Amino acid sequence: MIATLAIEAGDLPLGGGLLALVRPALLLLEPGGILAVRSSAASVVQDLPSWCRVERHRYLGYEDGRHLIERGSLGAPRGAREWGYRLKKPSAAEVVRAVPMPDTANADTGFAPRGARVEPGGPRYPFDLLERDRVAPPEVAQLYDQAVAAQWDVGRDIPWDTVGEHDPAIESAVCQVMTFLAENELSALYVPSRFIARIHPAYVETAMFLSTQLADEARHIDVFLRRARVAGGGLGVSSVTTSRSLLSLLEYEDFTEAAFVLSVLGEGTFLDLLRFVEEHAPDPATAEIARRTRNDESRHVHFGLAHVRHALSTDPTLFGRLEAAVRRRAATLHDVGGVPTPLQDSLTLLAAGSTEPRAVARGHEAFRALLEAMHAARIKRLDRAGFTAEQAELMSTLHTANFM
Amino acid sequence: MSDDTILLGAVAYDPKVVTIWEGIRDHFRAEGVKMDFALFSNYERQVETLLRGHIDLAWNTPLAHVRVQKRTEGRSISLGMRDTDRDFKAKVVVRKDAGIRALKDLEGKVLAVGSRDSTQARILPLHFLAKEGVDVAKAKLLAFDTDLGKHGDTGTSELDVLKALHDGRAQAGTVGDLIWTLEQAAGRVDPNKVEVLYTTPGFDHCMFDAHPAADRGKCAAFQKALFAMKWEVPEHRKLLELEGLKEWMQPREEGYASLRAALTEQAYW
Repeated sequence: MIATLAIEAGDLPLGGGLLALVRPALLLLEPGGILAVRSSAASVVQDLPSWCRVERHRYLGYEDGRHLIERGSLGAPRGAREWGYRLKKPSAAEVVRAVPMPDTANADTGFAPRGARVEPGGPRYPFDLLERDRVAPPEVAQLYDQAVAAQWDVGRDIPWDTVGEHDPAIESAVCQVMTFLAENELSALYVPSRFIARIHPAYVETAMFLSTQLADEARHIDVFLRRARVAGGGLGVSSVTTSRSLLSLLEYEDFTEAAFVLSVLGEGTFLDLLRFVEEHAPDPATAEIARRTRNDESRHVHFGLAHVRHALSTDPTLFGRLEAAVRRRAATLHDVGGVPTPLQDSLTLLAAGSTEPRAVARGHEAFRALLEAMHAARIKRLDRAGFTAEQAELMSTLHTANFM
Repeated sequence: MSDDTILLGAVAYDPKVVTIWEGIRDHFRAEGVKMDFALFSNYERQVETLLRGHIDLAWNTPLAHVRVQKRTEGRSISLGMRDTDRDFKAKVVVRKDAGIRALKDLEGKVLAVGSRDSTQARILPLHFLAKEGVDVAKAKLLAFDTDLGKHGDTGTSELDVLKALHDGRAQAGTVGDLIWTLEQAAGRVDPNKVEVLYTTPGFDHCMFDAHPAADRGKCAAFQKALFAMKWEVPEHRKLLELEGLKEWMQPREEGYASLRAALTEQAYW
């Protein structure tokens, strides 16, 4: 009998370490492959056949000091064995290049990492995002690497000592804006989190990217709430307009629709809002908060755009579905009215820099310009996603007055 | 039984037995076979109930199986067994410091044995030792008669034997190869203290026994659904693991001769 694989087991007893050599060796064999175990232990002559019986391998006998085992077929792991990788500078992007994502994934493989051989017969998992083109755009691992490198620290990286004292009306406006931002970022924390548990681990880089997004949102909530309470103020008002708008975000069940409405339209609009806050911030700390949070948000918008663009390129019917998703949301929000008034007034005063009437008039102009800038930028993003000018105009117009 | 539901008897040796048979019942239903089960607290009652025809078939230990065959004069119908029921063996395990080099050395030593109704931990190892020329009466038996009526299903008495060997209350002991192998594979046997001395010839273990008058259609339907269970199917695998097998096998009778001989010899029918 010619063995496919041979191991030297010395005088190891079965219950004293022999199996730590035998079991891994059998894992290297296909069913039917022959393992030779050279052993000088007398007890193994009795124990190895019993173990083979229980494990459904065929014990073929003992000859020339070698036990011969034919690997059984039950429970043999599926897939080719990974071996020989030498990643140069291990990044998520390099891992995806080395071990590409499959077109579709099998929910039976559970949390097994991509590339692992999977023993059959495991339970089915409730993952339902099983198609690469609907889950993982090509840039996702690169975006994850960037996100990890760009994490910052609210305590260390904001010049808190520059906040200073402001006119109470201006400070109050800052506090209201921070309240609004924190409330919206809460939704941006909760909405993606609902999808992570549905993503098949074959596309783990998307779950990893979303987890950086969650960490970003957590940091944003923290920094906005700290700013509101750091200079003698406190939180402002939460409007029903905002509440209704954010609830409608939470109700999307489709990952691509949610990514489109939250990240492309909502967070995209927030980029302009945060630029406005940075530009009109009454102190360097507030400006830095807006600048840093905007950097993070632009990564989320980038991922959202990549996701939607990639999905659209593989499924043209998606244009209509995304448009319908925006229309549906607009229909439920049709009685909501304009920008929440506490926010509108605060942005006006922030841009005015004082309550002096001529300054307020300038602030009001700035606010109107902001709305126009938001609309124009949304159309540009929709154009980049691949929508026609008409579709883009319509969807931008239907976008919530709550910005997110 | 007058209705078309197959009524199966099983002994509730552990709470998991309910999980096993409810799961198998669901699988049978999916296969279009109506099956229900009755649980017994011991094999003696299950055998009597089967012989009276109150159940169609019983999931029997080897001891219950040969008793059913004897009582029905060989007319009972064997329907299937586990892969693990084939070529079962018993082991004589000894302490390395007991100076036992050959089977004859067991005489005069403390020999731990399992329950008196356990085929693998008592009846057959003692039978084979006698055949090998050991005067078992000269060994001091340390008997663990736990879970009587369960015919060794719980494995408790075998674990007791291994414990007695490890802590020195016994110098030798008898266990089935399944428990011996699983305990070794799980790292719960100290190879510095104990090792195997002797392995018995193979014998077969549990069997589904149908009443001689059982409906043949029911028997065929039972086998068809049973053999459709597959290790690779998640729902099946869970049940198969609980029941201790990887594959259901066709019945065979040649593996019970040694048990019949042992029962006659030990006057334990």
